[in-house]
Amino acid sequence: MRSRIWILSLVLAFAAISLTYAQRGRRSFDDEDGPVITPPDANEKTEFTFSRLRYPSYRGGGGYWGVRGSWSTDYPKADRQFVQGVRRLTRIHVRSVEDVVDLDSDEIFNHPWIYGVEVGHWDLNEKQAAKMREYLLKGGFLMVDDFHGSIEWEIFLQSLSRVFPDRAVVDLANKEPVFHVLYDLDERFQIPGIVMFYTGQTYEQDGVEAKWRGVFDDKGRLMVGICHNMDIGDAWEHADMPRYPEHYASLAYRIGINYIMYAMTH
Amino acid sequence: MFEFLFSYPSRVYEKGQFVLLGGWPVWAWALLALGVAAGLAWPYFRSRRDAEIRVQGWKAGVLWALQALMAILLLSLLWQPALLVATLKPQQNVVAVVVDDSKSMSIADEGGKTRAATAKEILNAGLLEQLKKQFQVRLYKVGRSLERLEKAEDVQGTQTATRLSDALRGVAAESASVPLGAIVLLSDGGDNAGGIDLATLSEVRSRRIPVHTVGLGREKYDRDLEIVAVDVPARALADSRITAQVTLRQTGYTKNKVNITLRDGTRILGQQTIVLKADNEPQTESILFNSGPAGPKALQIGVAPLENEENRANNQVTRLVNVEATKPRILYIEGEPKWEYKFIRRAMEDDKTVSITSMLRTTQNKIYRQGIAEPKELENGFPDKAEDLFQYQGLIIGGVEIGYFTAAQQELIRQFVDRRGGGLLFLGGRNGLSDGGWGKSGLLDLLPVSIGDRRDTFKRERAKVELAVGGRDSLIARLVENPDANIERWKKLPEIENYQETGAPKPGAVVLAEFIAGGKRQPLLATQNYGRGRTAILATAGTWRWQMLQPLEDKSHEVFWDQLSRWLVTSSPPRVLSSTPKQVLTDETKVQIRAEVRDKNYLPVSDGQVQARVLSPDGSSELVEMRPEPLSAGQYVATWDAEKPGAYVAEIVAKRGEEELGTDLFNFRREDGVAENFGSEQNRELLEKLSSQTGGVYYRGTDASKLAKDISYSEAGITVREAKDLWNLPIVFLLILMIRATEWMLRRRWGVV
Repeated sequence: MRSRIWILSLVLAFAAISLTYAQRGRRSFDDEDGPVITPPDANEKTEFTFSRLRYPSYRGGGGYWGVRGSWSTDYPKADRQFVQGVRRLTRIHVRSVEDVVDLDSDEIFNHPWIYGVEVGHWDLNEKQAAKMREYLLKGGFLMVDDFHGSIEWEIFLQSLSRVFPDRAVVDLANKEPVFHVLYDLDERFQIPGIVMFYTGQTYEQDGVEAKWRGVFDDKGRLMVGICHNMDIGDAWEHADMPRYPEHYASLAYRIGINYIMYAMTH
Repeated sequence: MFEFLFSYPSRVYEKGQFVLLGGWPVWAWALLALGVAAGLAWPYFRSRRDAEIRVQGWKAGVLWALQALMAILLLSLLWQPALLVATLKPQQNVVAVVVDDSKSMSIADEGGKTRAATAKEILNAGLLEQLKKQFQVRLYKVGRSLERLEKAEDVQGTQTATRLSDALRGVAAESASVPLGAIVLLSDGGDNAGGIDLATLSEVRSRRIPVHTVGLGREKYDRDLEIVAVDVPARALADSRITAQVTLRQTGYTKNKVNITLRDGTRILGQQTIVLKADNEPQTESILFNSGPAGPKALQIGVAPLENEENRANNQVTRLVNVEATKPRILYIEGEPKWEYKFIRRAMEDDKTVSITSMLRTTQNKIYRQGIAEPKELENGFPDKAEDLFQYQGLIIGGVEIGYFTAAQQELIRQFVDRRGGGLLFLGGRNGLSDGGWGKSGLLDLLPVSIGDRRDTFKRERAKVELAVGGRDSLIARLVENPDANIERWKKLPEIENYQETGAPKPGAVVLAEFIAGGKRQPLLATQNYGRGRTAILATAGTWRWQMLQPLEDKSHEVFWDQLSRWLVTSSPPRVLSSTPKQVLTDETKVQIRAEVRDKNYLPVSDGQVQARVLSPDGSSELVEMRPEPLSAGQYVATWDAEKPGAYVAEIVAKRGEEELGTDLFNFRREDGVAENFGSEQNRELLEKLSSQTGGVYYRGTDASKLAKDISYSEAGITVREAKDLWNLPIVFLLILMIRATEWMLRRRWGVV
């Protein structure tokens, strides 16, 4: 009798571990506001999926910095809350949940738009950088966000220069199509994260001024949209927070939608 | 032998009319014949049950038949059968003898002698003498033109063309006031002015002039390769891939490998190695080549002379292609943002030849325009005026539901293809094709495949693709030049991201590629012609994976879309479209200039002023007024003489009052000394047809001596009717003897003698 109980316990334990492992690709992380519920249409096949880039973290010594690495900041609430806005405001057929892609397999080529957060901590090796370069030159688009100040900028550039040793990062002028493809975004301002509730400032570290930058291909098409000294992801995530100012969230949605729309048209 | 048995030449029997000269009525002959037959049958009938009579049953029937035949034959002779035949009155008629004097007559394939030498030999060996005894003989030679001769020796075989129709018309015209009894034509039949035209044939036939032909030259070479035809589009876009269809025929080189080469001056644009098929079997091969930069091109297409080839001058031809500097425009309307939209645009943006203008429905009420020529273009959405839509040469309708278009716009889309002659491509999408309600629309017939009215046909499932049988020779689907390698290349393409189910292809449509879903092959890419234009369907919005999932340097996605877009626009005509039936005039001078003129709504203009300014090789130009063609609205024609060999340019300018309707250019070229190199074997078929249709006879060169006897039997000229008795033919007496002898032999065998 005792041996049967032991066996049953082992089986149940194994099943629990397996189920947890199986959820790895689409984990229901608890965010700062509580658990995120997987929507019923999570498996719907759609044209567009919010694809979050999982990258090795600078602080992690080349690894993915554990389960909650810097790549997963605001994940998944920001992603899911943002795509609700994309669904409501555009004709893009969008999935309600995100995908996570990395540069260690070719799966990334099935996702022509990817979002990288806190890239002030990313650390791409040569192989990953080469894949990113190939991805972008073929027509993929990378939007990066939520990194601040000069130190994180330097760290960001270290990996970006492995991707494009010979391409310049340029400041985006207001006339760039990415600011007009759907919404006219001539009037842009710094979008702060919720850290402003504690610091009383819209900037972090020495990143006082929001920088809209990018990397272009040989035909003048934007491949990398760089949102430096701002935290658009936080604005998506906390758009439903009463304390978070609406005008920041609103601009964050418009920026995000314009970047997606640009990636789908250029 | 024939003449021994039948007393007269076969021609008498062909031309003669059977008559009975006896004067007694035919019914009397029939009655008597019946009576005699019955009388002869009576004894057999009466004795049919008499056991002592040895001949009964079928044997009696045979004997009766022989006796009756004999009696009826003799009876017939009493009615004096004869043939009534018209013969030319001696010394009162003219016979025209026409000798081919073209360059092909100098080919020495008559046992070491040239064809011209054989012709002279036939004439001088007695034919001319015999004819002169009966008729006034007029001797001519024909090449580019008809020329009267004094003696046969003046035939040289040097002229650069053969115009038999002109010769026949010329002879008939020269002899209009004299009794022309017959025409004798000595030729190899190598006409290179389009054969004998119907008008000439009717004129000769109306005057009942028999044309007797004497065929000269070998009917087939032992060892030769000839380029029979080359078909290349007269117009092409710059830097586009085009095909030359080369038809060749050979004898003596079956299974040999040869290279077909296509050159522009000294530059080789394309070549292909082929294995030659069976002797005399026309073989058509396609050669792909790039049109290169804009400008007129004179392409030399051919095969290098082969070992021991008997005619080496028929291995190469020249064709003109006008590579146009225009940049046709495609309007692409897409119902929702999708990756396919982006990657189609990227592929086409790289194309310097075709430009793409697109309108994308980003939100319910917003349209994002790209590639517009001026700020107001498409400002109010999809065009609702013909002149706005018809400025594009191609149209792509992505995943847009039919309800998005007004009824007027739907009709405009139809007219874009049908009247304007544009190219229309439908793409798959969750709001496209049957999911978008197109299955119930009035535009259903624009689709090359049938679609139902199901709303769940768009599947976001990946699917493999393969080339269909119809796509193997298609330029749209040619990702690599070698056709076999291309089939394999398609199999290796990444799966498409999604697909849309459709029905079977419509009659006349061609399926170029298929996708495989659930083990079933379904049309992926199909095309069809519709009205003046063409339509296609690409039942997916997922070819973008060909770009993202293949190595960066792979260009198959770009090549596919470049070729598909060129196919959409290449044949879309401008408002003024000029052409000529023959761009290369080989030993000809007359060029026909044609123009089709339409207004901005692409309606035919019949009241326009259309002129052609022709620029000659020496730099001089001439203005030619073109006249409207009756019964063909919007069509204008003119005929002009290209007096010198070389390259010409014709610019067509069309106006209606003060309104400029448009201009167009085309090139043509006159080449001399070329035509006679082709089709240089004896064209017996043409000569035989000419004779049989005019009541003449075809003779081989060796039988030409018979001609002098036959020629008298003609309905033309001054004739007399002669009755040729048939009762005294040797064959009749031979028949009588045979009947009697057969009866006698049978009686001996059956013991009833």
